[in-house]
Amino acid sequence: MELKELYALMERFEKSGLSEIVYKKDGEEVCLKKAGPAPVYAAPVYAPPASGSSAAHPVHDALPVKHGSDTEFICAPLVGTFYRAPAPDAPPFVEKGDAVKKGKPLCILEAMKLMNEYQAEFDMEIVAILVDNGNMVEFGAPLFEVRRV
Amino acid sequence: MIQSLLIANRGEIAVRIIRTCREMGIRTVVAHSQADTDSLPVRLADEHVCVGPAPARESYLNIRNLVTAGVLSGCDALHPGVGFLAENAGFARDVKDAGLVFVGPDPEVIDLLGDKIRAKHSAKDLGIPVIPGSSGSVNNAEEALHAADGIGYPVIVKAAAGGGGKGMRIVHGGSQLADVLAIASQEAEKAFSDGTVYLEKYLENPRHVEIQIVADRKGNVVHLGERDCTVQQNHQKLIEESPSPVVTPALRARMGEDAVRLLRGLGYTGAGTVEFLVKEGKHYFMEVNARVQVEHPVSEMVTGIDIIRQQLLAASDESLEITQDQVRLGAYALECRINARSAGRVTQFMSPGGFGVRMDTFLYAGYHVPPWYDHLVAKLIVTGQNRAEGVRRMERALSELVIEGIATNIESQKKILAHPRFRSGDYGTGFLGEILKEGAL
Repeated sequence: MELKELYALMERFEKSGLSEIVYKKDGEEVCLKKAGPAPVYAAPVYAPPASGSSAAHPVHDALPVKHGSDTEFICAPLVGTFYRAPAPDAPPFVEKGDAVKKGKPLCILEAMKLMNEYQAEFDMEIVAILVDNGNMVEFGAPLFEVRRV
Repeated sequence: MIQSLLIANRGEIAVRIIRTCREMGIRTVVAHSQADTDSLPVRLADEHVCVGPAPARESYLNIRNLVTAGVLSGCDALHPGVGFLAENAGFARDVKDAGLVFVGPDPEVIDLLGDKIRAKHSAKDLGIPVIPGSSGSVNNAEEALHAADGIGYPVIVKAAAGGGGKGMRIVHGGSQLADVLAIASQEAEKAFSDGTVYLEKYLENPRHVEIQIVADRKGNVVHLGERDCTVQQNHQKLIEESPSPVVTPALRARMGEDAVRLLRGLGYTGAGTVEFLVKEGKHYFMEVNARVQVEHPVSEMVTGIDIIRQQLLAASDESLEITQDQVRLGAYALECRINARSAGRVTQFMSPGGFGVRMDTFLYAGYHVPPWYDHLVAKLIVTGQNRAEGVRRMERALSELVIEGIATNIESQKKILAHPRFRSGDYGTGFLGEILKEGAL
């Protein structure tokens, strides 16, 4: 990515209501986050349930929360239904004990008929999956216990 | 009938709603922020769902999380309470689109009443007296000057999307008008994303008197008399009473009929309040609050009617339990709002009691009052055979009330009640400002 492009992105991001954006192009990745108070949620945009590939899902990063020893919890950033797989008949994104690379999908949270996919923010090992598939989660509920690798 | 209700609110109003639901056999789910995990409504509700972090815009104003919480927790209805999203038509629409009942008027009605110019036109069309003013918005200084000349000074500039005194300015002469118009419009633009303003005759030191309405979907629209909310500071009500010392039976009948005609004409359902200004025995329509109000217990105590219960029945497409003929206005009721002046841990809490005393609060000893939300922490309501007895009972109740660990306005409320002007019943909305200047508080 050229610096010019990066600056343009930063300018647009600054003016937008977004609190965070991950931009990927040609194998490069830029993550912009706004400092200050936690994100402002825009009015929800309702869309029919996404069908087909999970690439169509909006991608968000879950919020990692520090934990005592060497593990951390990844917690729900919204209220929704927790799904471990991209479709009912598809295999789960991750299993207990899996080594997961940064950027790999972990789960989907469905809210208001919108499928929100969450990716690993760093390389990790899944120590425990704390919510059963299809269950409701409240804001801040721990979803995964993970270990950074 | 509603089986299961999501309460998208906090504090004393959430507690208030839970209490009536319990009596009606309705399951309650309270939506709360991370700052309210230990709150009384969370303790009292059948279930609770955390919908976001402490700041209200990410929790109590987070439409997506609130609606999702309602659907996923198996609720069939949602009560918005007061403040937050209670008068947000978009929220009401989203709740309905998700298949839940919104406990309140229809979104179209909320939209109309949220636009003060449209609301005023509707009232005027239905023959309800309105404050003389510009026929619609004023878009430039020239239009404003022309309108103000017709109305006569002083005039008040108001925001069409208004509320809370924002975008409101008093103008005493034409030379100031252009500047003030620009400032008010900018303020309105910032507060409501809508800079539309209009002009009204400024009534000096009027009474603020409002009529409580409950309405169902079967054509029953009933008024529960008036509340006098003249004691206010910066448009924030502090003391409310019913009946009003200045409302005669004839005026009450006229105001009640006007309020009923307006809300019937709009197809309004649920609990709502029609606010009027009263000056020299005449009433003027001001606005409609399209929700249950903080001070609703005053009307409950003079009529013996549970307003939240009527609201839930109306939302369930049931009939109200009362007709206008059955409404009996009792002797007298008085409410003092207890506001926190600091956040922190409540170390001691003792609620007053005894004959004719009602306390609506979410405080308990050991509770930590969070710094994030409205400062109202309790509403103390008393009844009496007449105003004098009611005021004495309130003084007795306030003297029993103990809230330690946080600063409150309890002492200030005692001084207002003791002030000879309050006792006389003869004052206007400027009363509190005047006695503050005297240094009486």
